[in-house]
Amino acid sequence: MDFYYGLAQIIGVHTLLGLSAYIVLLTGQVSLAQAGFFAIGAYAAGMLTVLFGWPIVPALAVGAILGAIVACAVGFPALRVRGLMLVIATLAFGEGVRLFFFNFDYQIARGDIKVGPLGGEGFRQIRYFPENGWTTFEVMLFIWAIVAIVMAVLWWFDRSRYGAVLRAVGEDEVAAQSVGINLTAVKVSAMTIGGAVAGVGGGLYAHYTTHIEHTSFNILVATFAIAYPIVGGLASVFGTLAAVVFVQGFLVEGLRFLGDWRNLLFGALIVLAMNLRPDGLVDARVLGRLARVFRGVRRA
Amino acid sequence: MLDLLQAILDGVMFGATYALIGIGFTLVFGVMHKINMAYAAASVGGAYCGLLVLVAFKGAPAWAVFLGAFAAGGVLGYLVYLACFHFIPLANPLATLMSTVGMLLLIDEIVVHTTDGMPQNYPAMFDDVMLRAGELSIRGDLLLIFGVGVACMAVLLALLYRTRLGLATRAVSQQPVAAQLCGIRVAQVNAATFVITGLLGGLAGALIGASVGALSPLLTVPLTVKGLIVTVIGGLGSIPGAIVAGLLVGGFENLFQQFRGVTERDLYVMLLLFAFLVFRPGGIFASGAGRD
Repeated sequence: MDFYYGLAQIIGVHTLLGLSAYIVLLTGQVSLAQAGFFAIGAYAAGMLTVLFGWPIVPALAVGAILGAIVACAVGFPALRVRGLMLVIATLAFGEGVRLFFFNFDYQIARGDIKVGPLGGEGFRQIRYFPENGWTTFEVMLFIWAIVAIVMAVLWWFDRSRYGAVLRAVGEDEVAAQSVGINLTAVKVSAMTIGGAVAGVGGGLYAHYTTHIEHTSFNILVATFAIAYPIVGGLASVFGTLAAVVFVQGFLVEGLRFLGDWRNLLFGALIVLAMNLRPDGLVDARVLGRLARVFRGVRRA
Repeated sequence: MLDLLQAILDGVMFGATYALIGIGFTLVFGVMHKINMAYAAASVGGAYCGLLVLVAFKGAPAWAVFLGAFAAGGVLGYLVYLACFHFIPLANPLATLMSTVGMLLLIDEIVVHTTDGMPQNYPAMFDDVMLRAGELSIRGDLLLIFGVGVACMAVLLALLYRTRLGLATRAVSQQPVAAQLCGIRVAQVNAATFVITGLLGGLAGALIGASVGALSPLLTVPLTVKGLIVTVIGGLGSIPGAIVAGLLVGGFENLFQQFRGVTERDLYVMLLLFAFLVFRPGGIFASGAGRD
């Protein structure tokens, strides 16, 4: 059973990663910096609980705030450029963060072992959960409670005036600007929210794996972050969740019986999915149909 | 001082491969306004296919392997076009971005699967030759890379500006609808662009394999990043820009590898990119304040 709880933890954390890219994608920007914010949240929260003995919730909050601050700071200069230029600028930022942690040492002695991040060796022994006697099930509940809160907030954003503004910028910048929307403010705010969500996700990731290193935040992770919302579709936050379940649950774990061939199918299935459903797995039509079914059930 | 010059010289020579990869990205972007994230992976894949020549004919010369990589790169380029672009609506840039990322992972995995993840030795030409110019020396295989790279760029420029296909390609890149109204088959031109960039990529992959001495699937992601950086520094869609930027990045990278070590090297390349994004967002040869 622990295996399924572990899988649920992975799906929860990756959902947060995907959602952080989702809100930025709503404004039509492709950001490959999410892995960088994820790394900042992971290292910050891990260092606070391990080196300074903080409890988990304030540590995660600090990770989120740091992620948001850095995202806001990156957003201003990076969002001056658009399209492919932004993809590459954010990719360079994400790689820069990874290389920073690759060269980052901050260790203090605790008892007879040294703890803390150590460059290429990574950051071992982030043992907040085991030390405080949390079971896998409790950790999973904790992660999913946070995922539920973040999803609810983003879902509410989506249905509010703010969500309409985000989508307006994503659909057509010139039209949005001509009705008086401040493009920079909208884009930077979306980036900031994305940074906070990625920071929380990173903090959770550091604590359930107990060991992070710079390769845990490489380009592949950044690509996955944008892959979830794109594969799932930008019609709703549930698209991202569906894509994470599809990728982590089905492609990674469900196909494990195929052995080596699983990795081959992985890329091929993504190519196939984009050919068959270019607007994502859960596009507006599926969402409409689901809503009708849901309403029908309620009426019956 | 001599070390410094030597490091820059070696880097610029190797930078020719970055230039070739950068041209591939920039050409596809120029024609279709799309990024082909699978390009570097397809290039390395083409270079691997070149090794099949050695499997088929024991002791085949190195140039035969290069030729095989060249041809295989073209085939792979066409396959990437079919799988990732042909059936996806043009108005959907995110979908093609994702499908090419899927293709990148697929090609990488096929390579890992068939070689069991072991790096493969790659045949080199002129690797025992050492040219001397005063105190400086030039490795023969790097000189070959540089020479072939420059020749490829010349052929490509001639193709683009002296042939009917080149005219059609440039027309499609400027105004796809108008080009279609003039009777140009847009899909065919797009496919041709992918085949041409694929041929270049296969050759670039083989040259990289020859100069490093071995091919490994670990090469694809760094090459993708370097190629994209070169594309941006050179200016999107600019071929001369990509050439100069490739050489520049190569020299810059080797310089910092010499003095700051291999772990910090890429940090400085990123800083170079940021400097360009802030001060010259349109690339080296930008005319005005062009963004996007």
